[in-house]
Amino acid sequence: MSAPARTNASGQAALAFPAVMLAAFFVVPFGLMIAVSFFSREQGGFYTPVLTTANYQRFLSWFFADILLFSVGLSALVSAVCLTIGAPFTYLLSRLPRRSQVPWLVAMMAVLSLSEVIIGFAWSTLLSRTAGLSNLFVAIGLMDGPEAWSPSFTAVLCGMVYQAFPYSILVLYPAFSRLDPSLSEAARTLGASPVRAFFNVIVPSLRNALVATFIIVFVFALGAYLLPQLLGRPQHWTLSVLITDQAVYQSNMPFAAAMAVFLVASSLILVLLSTMFGGRREAK
Amino acid sequence: MSTLDLVAVTKRYGDIVAVDDATLSVPPGSFVCLLGPSGCGKTTLLRIIAGLESASSGEVKFEGERIDATPVHRRDFGMVFQSLALFPHLSVRENIAYPLKIRGRGKAEREKRVAELLDLVRLPGVADRPITQLSGGQRQRVAIARALSVSPKLFLLDEPLSALDAKLREAMQVELRQLQERLGITTIVVTHDQREAMTMADAIVVMEGGRILQMDRPIDVYRKPASPFVADFLGQTNCLVAKPGKGGAEIAGGTIPGLQLGAGRREAEISVRPEDVVIRPAGDAPIPATVEFVRDMGSAVEIYLSTEAGRMIAQRASGHDALAVGDEVSLSIAPDAVVVFSEGVAR
Amino acid sequence: MTRKPSLVLNRRQALLAAGAGAATLAMPTVLRAQDKSLKVGVYGGYFKDSFDTNIFPEFTKATGIAVESVAEPTGEAWLVQLEQAGRAGVAPADVSMMSQVAMRKGLQTELWQPLDPAKIGNFDAILPPFTVKYDDGRVAGVGAVAWYITLVSNTDAFPEAPDSWATFWDADKKDKLGLLALVSNSFLLEVTAKTFFGGTDILSTDDGILKVMDKLAELKPNVQLWYRDEAQFEQALKSGEIPMGQYYHDVTGLAAADGFPVRSTFPKEGGISDSGCWAVTKASQKLNLATTFIDYMTQPEIAGLLARKVGTAPVLKRDVLDLTDKEFAAVSSEIEPIVPRYDLYVEKSDWLNQKWTELIVG
Repeated sequence: MSAPARTNASGQAALAFPAVMLAAFFVVPFGLMIAVSFFSREQGGFYTPVLTTANYQRFLSWFFADILLFSVGLSALVSAVCLTIGAPFTYLLSRLPRRSQVPWLVAMMAVLSLSEVIIGFAWSTLLSRTAGLSNLFVAIGLMDGPEAWSPSFTAVLCGMVYQAFPYSILVLYPAFSRLDPSLSEAARTLGASPVRAFFNVIVPSLRNALVATFIIVFVFALGAYLLPQLLGRPQHWTLSVLITDQAVYQSNMPFAAAMAVFLVASSLILVLLSTMFGGRREAK
Repeated sequence: MSTLDLVAVTKRYGDIVAVDDATLSVPPGSFVCLLGPSGCGKTTLLRIIAGLESASSGEVKFEGERIDATPVHRRDFGMVFQSLALFPHLSVRENIAYPLKIRGRGKAEREKRVAELLDLVRLPGVADRPITQLSGGQRQRVAIARALSVSPKLFLLDEPLSALDAKLREAMQVELRQLQERLGITTIVVTHDQREAMTMADAIVVMEGGRILQMDRPIDVYRKPASPFVADFLGQTNCLVAKPGKGGAEIAGGTIPGLQLGAGRREAEISVRPEDVVIRPAGDAPIPATVEFVRDMGSAVEIYLSTEAGRMIAQRASGHDALAVGDEVSLSIAPDAVVVFSEGVAR
Repeated sequence: MTRKPSLVLNRRQALLAAGAGAATLAMPTVLRAQDKSLKVGVYGGYFKDSFDTNIFPEFTKATGIAVESVAEPTGEAWLVQLEQAGRAGVAPADVSMMSQVAMRKGLQTELWQPLDPAKIGNFDAILPPFTVKYDDGRVAGVGAVAWYITLVSNTDAFPEAPDSWATFWDADKKDKLGLLALVSNSFLLEVTAKTFFGGTDILSTDDGILKVMDKLAELKPNVQLWYRDEAQFEQALKSGEIPMGQYYHDVTGLAAADGFPVRSTFPKEGGISDSGCWAVTKASQKLNLATTFIDYMTQPEIAGLLARKVGTAPVLKRDVLDLTDKEFAAVSSEIEPIVPRYDLYVEKSDWLNQKWTELIVG
């Protein structure tokens, strides 16, 4: 008699743990952030728990709209580039014999262990005028003189794609390696060239994995605040950079929180849109 | 002229020889089964024909022309994969129309062809369903329809029925054969199921260890196996060692009168199918035996017998006098029912 | 304002960290054998490490007062903690090294206990800009350490040393400058005001500030890097990637001494002087011990020690110091410095920050 009851209780206990974790590490901090975003900033002090919408009013300007748009656009571009390179890369990787896959995967994971700072410094050196790649091009006669390619938008993009690329492989790899290899073979026997088979068959059957990768890289890129500083000019600074400035350097927590709420909200909207877009095809 | 010719085709993966010196001619309109145990190289051979693998050496010719360098997508062969490889993101209609779409056929033509093909595989009315909502048998038919949609010059199937349950499989075997006869399309099927091969094929190619052991009509492969392996792989058989004797041949503890082993041979391996072993009362026939086990399958009865030459299996239609374990009997074997292998005796 | 710990160790920090590491093994930060003890807040990282190694043991030896050093977080979080602790009556530290802006914010809430100048032997030798007072003249904080941000350049790219901040505005500096990214740590408003508007008084009105910002906006095409991280610019300056900019005088001197082609120049308008104060929070029960500590720390010998070991500029008058000319030049200059208008960063912090961000991002 007691056996089913006990199972039930332990089942609930098992659910309770993730629920507590979710509450402790997501709901509570996020709730606090929303609360702080409505508090009054005390210039020359910190903040007082007096409700105000001033922080949101300050954000609602063309200036910040522009920056938010740039941040979202940059993250989407990083995601798109990661997918464009990552999907064919992972596909070819998953077709290799398992033994040859290992070194590639280890190399990818090694990049994951690099901190944003190291990646930023490495790319700024690689793209610099004094020690960068352009010297190589000068040496082989492709360019007349070395140029500084960092800071620039391209440098920010390169750094962020480099940093996010292993994550995209990490998400894509299981799906690609589970994929029935005869799918693309079937497409080829039906008359599709290998490239066509990849786009007609492989890409659509991995739609969910691709959408998931896009979202993960997108959210990841949206949070980047060091690379845009290290590799970009001020016009390439993302909202995350400005949030950091407000929180760390200005001690303006309410405004930082309000900006963060906007950032989280806009990324949630994009995630929802892309899952809806992904789901509609599925239901058809 | 034959439709497909393989000349000394060999495929190596490092030290492993998957296909060893395979030479084969497939006449137009014929239905050929590549039959053998798993790992015998039959699937590799089929993939070489399809162009999904390239041979290490040898020639693949289609209608007299070498096609070794022709990429898969230009060969215009239809292929059904073991996993079926239906595109999960497309509907039945889109799956079947896929090769037509690639070839730029118009929408009207595609619609017409899809309807025709679904009729052909007896699956009307499912065109708009997603693949995920079909049963195993229905998927099977869609895969066949898709492979046939551009009227391929050669129809290749890799263990196409292996995922179906026994009953459905038998029905599909008959259907597949009837379909092939109606279309007159040259067809090559890979299977490890000898019943399947016997049911469908005009010719069976038996393979083992990458080599082609025998290619013949099904009844000839069954009746005149080229080696003990072939005899054993196609149905049950009694393999015995025989020596020349007075008026025929001797086996351990008995004789087969009238059996000639061939000039000058001191012993030979022979094969006798269970249905050719005749059971008589004890003492009536030259080979004494004891009943060990009786398996009554309704339509026929299999009797396991112990003899001095080892265990033998006899099969007879039901309706004879019932035998019981321990009964003493004797066996007779007609010399024309015996296959004498030309190879030496393996010990 | 506060010097932020760098993301990547620069050379000086690395050297010091190595020394401090060895010292920590030999000697615990808290000397428990002493009866009298004092909690001292110091900027975490470089400053705390060097004080723990070079200064606090000497102080304990001389006075018998044990020091428990507390690492202050960056930004103004420490001020907030002190404010909250003040209300609760518990002090996380008795004496703290505070940035000039934090000092002024504390004035508004009477956070600092008034100090008695008579008990600080060298009070009169402290240069006036480094002492922070209440409106009624009570002393709230006494200069602790100072440092200079100067005009730095790569000697390969610029064989002639520049002599004025105005050189930043020259057309030939296009894409050649590295400047600090924040209004509150670059003090470029003060530099521009002093260089082109005759002094920092123009910054007293909003219109004046906007006028200075317009002038500053002309600089934008010349700036290759707006940096937050010291190490990034230091690296670029040494390699000549970014051959000119503003940077810390002491670190640049060390790099030059190591043979890198860099130099630090005090322009004729002066280097930017920034500093930290010693202040006692109202929650502390140990005002007397704290005053003893401040008295000790303001001795000329200690200022000399700090200059030599920590690399900070003395807050005392030149003539009371025992530093040689070379030692003095390594950390300071007798050219009148540009003193930041800290009051702006207290009263108009958000407005300034917004305008500044629009200026450089827009």
